[in-house]
Amino acid sequence: MKKHKIIQLLFLIVLGIPPSFLKAQDVVEKPTLSLTLKYFNDNNYTHHLLLEAKSKIDGKFQKIANVPAKIYITNDADKANLLGTGITNDKGQILVLIPNSAKAEWIKSPNQNFVAVSTTTKAFDEARGELAITKAKIQIDTADGRIINAKLMALVDTTWTPIAAVDMIVGVKRLGGIMNANETPTYATDSVGGVMAEFKRDTLPGDTKGNLVLVASVVDNETYGNLTAEMIVPWGTKSVYTSNFDHRTLFARRGHSPIWLEILAYAIIIGVWSVIIYLIFQLKKVKELGVG
Amino acid sequence: MEKLAEQKIIEDLLPQKFGKQGTIWVICLLAVCALGAFAYGRQLYYGLEVTAMRDYVSWGIYISNFVFFVAISLVGSLITAVLRLTDVNWSTPLTRIAEIIAVSAICFAGLIIIVDMGRPDRFYNLFLHGRLQSPIIWDVIVITTYLFISILLLYFPLLPDLKIMIEHKERNGKWLQKLYVFLGSFWKNKPEQFHISEKAINILSISIIPVAFAIHTVTSWLFATTYRPGWDSTNFGAYFISGAFLVGSGAVLIAMYVFRTHYKLEKYITDSHFDKMGKVVVLLALIYLYFNVNEFLVPAFKMKKSEEEHLMGLFTGEFAAIFWFAISTAMIIPICILLFKKGRRPKAAFVAGILVVVGSWFKRYLIVTPTLLHPFLPMSNVPESYRHYIPTWEEWAIAGGSLAGALLIVTIFARIFPIIPIHETITEIESNEKA
Repeated sequence: MKKHKIIQLLFLIVLGIPPSFLKAQDVVEKPTLSLTLKYFNDNNYTHHLLLEAKSKIDGKFQKIANVPAKIYITNDADKANLLGTGITNDKGQILVLIPNSAKAEWIKSPNQNFVAVSTTTKAFDEARGELAITKAKIQIDTADGRIINAKLMALVDTTWTPIAAVDMIVGVKRLGGIMNANETPTYATDSVGGVMAEFKRDTLPGDTKGNLVLVASVVDNETYGNLTAEMIVPWGTKSVYTSNFDHRTLFARRGHSPIWLEILAYAIIIGVWSVIIYLIFQLKKVKELGVG
Repeated sequence: MEKLAEQKIIEDLLPQKFGKQGTIWVICLLAVCALGAFAYGRQLYYGLEVTAMRDYVSWGIYISNFVFFVAISLVGSLITAVLRLTDVNWSTPLTRIAEIIAVSAICFAGLIIIVDMGRPDRFYNLFLHGRLQSPIIWDVIVITTYLFISILLLYFPLLPDLKIMIEHKERNGKWLQKLYVFLGSFWKNKPEQFHISEKAINILSISIIPVAFAIHTVTSWLFATTYRPGWDSTNFGAYFISGAFLVGSGAVLIAMYVFRTHYKLEKYITDSHFDKMGKVVVLLALIYLYFNVNEFLVPAFKMKKSEEEHLMGLFTGEFAAIFWFAISTAMIIPICILLFKKGRRPKAAFVAGILVVVGSWFKRYLIVTPTLLHPFLPMSNVPESYRHYIPTWEEWAIAGGSLAGALLIVTIFARIFPIIPIHETITEIESNEKA
């Protein structure tokens, strides 16, 4: 092996390639994997964590897929604290719901820690990502005159306490995102943790009953994570669904082709096949002439 | 003297038994067909998995073959109908050759579509539940119609010849005599029969032209109505028809040479026929070349992103070798050969015909496959085999079997029936002498 390396070295010197190249061939440093954990409180109903794996490649951070990782409640990556395992998808993400089995640990304290640990792979060494949050929730309600009231509260000891000066989005759920309730994109909670937004989207289409889903949301807050609260209100216009299923169109199902197409197609088919049938009768006539 | 000349024509043109060469030829075709049948058996048993067709390339060489067969079948309408209606008399010896090529090609066009189906046992659903809006249904209707018209156009002019063959029963075997009697014993050469027959042939000649145009236009619409790079063209109907006339005429050149040489028909398929057919092929090749320039130059000038990948794949990419081979052999080289008088001699014209047909087959392959490998949305998270299409041996065997099958129909037809219309040839010679 040593002899082989000496020959390789001599060969490279002869070619004028610095011997350092040989070293670079032998030791390839793996890039560092960065794990980021995010917490989500979904309408005060379910809680989930989102792990994002990134690495600096070619001078910029890129999402890393196919990284196996485990996510634990508390900072202790012990089997007993395991919330879930997964492999990062194309977006470099793993989503884990906080299961009911973690309730005992969850209710111990108003603050909660999480840790994610990735497994060593050919491309990356093991990495850790930690998250500490304070448990919080948003309450949403409405008042006369189409007013939306939202209130942010955090758990202090065992009491839900209003939190001031936190940015909050108030709006209506639309196409997977949140549409502002009026021209103000974000609000800051006041001294009693409250936000008041006037709903000005008068002609927004709702469902068949005119229902809209109001949303109040805190996004990527360092202390509280991502919080949302939703409420259904009949403030939209009623959407009446009209089915095109039975309409005669070029893309409709069988038996529902446009009349013009049917007339055209059948006229051509009947026309051409009438000629063929006529000619078959002519053939019959020729036969009769020969037999007779 | 006149009777003697007539007798000589009949002797020359009556169907002849296969010689040694003919028998070997038929055995070879049967062997290729058997291999194709075996491969199809495997496809039926294991499913379309035995092919290289996957999610992206769902139309492979079967559909290329289908387009090729539909194209070649158009020659029946060109030689029989267009030239007949325009009083081009020199085409008389070629009409039956063109018609039998048309019938055999259209039969296998229909069959190859069934081969392409994953569940051929459900074929009847196409008729029970077919949507009139779908170009596929239009294709089914128009292919069936074209087949019927082509068979009638083959049968009507055959009736006087059947009478001649029945009269020469000493040359026929027992079964052949029975077949001739079954098909044409009622033909008595009565003037009324000729009158009806002539009228019917004229009606068929007129009606086959729009049907022939429809068959290949509808086939082109199978592609053009799908919004894909390479297919998104308003020009496709005319592009397909011009290509179809070219490949059909190339096939007629080949058949003319083979029948002339094998059956010693030099007096009937003369050098002049090759000269004239050669000129027709040059004209058609130039028209097809024009449509090709049109089809590629306009999108290449704009180079829209989606088209770019497809066009670069054809011009310089993975399909470049086949693309330039097809363009050269189907159009440029045949034009160069047939443009000169020497090139329109039988042997040279035969070579040009082979080049046209082979190049045209690959041209059909290039119409179908490269587009399917260049979808608008990039391929992601798919196995490597989805990104390329290299037909399996089963696909080649089935495609080869279908081509051999079409040739077998033409060969067997030429064994049973006169490949040059006897009665028409006699009548034409008589009328020429009178004139």
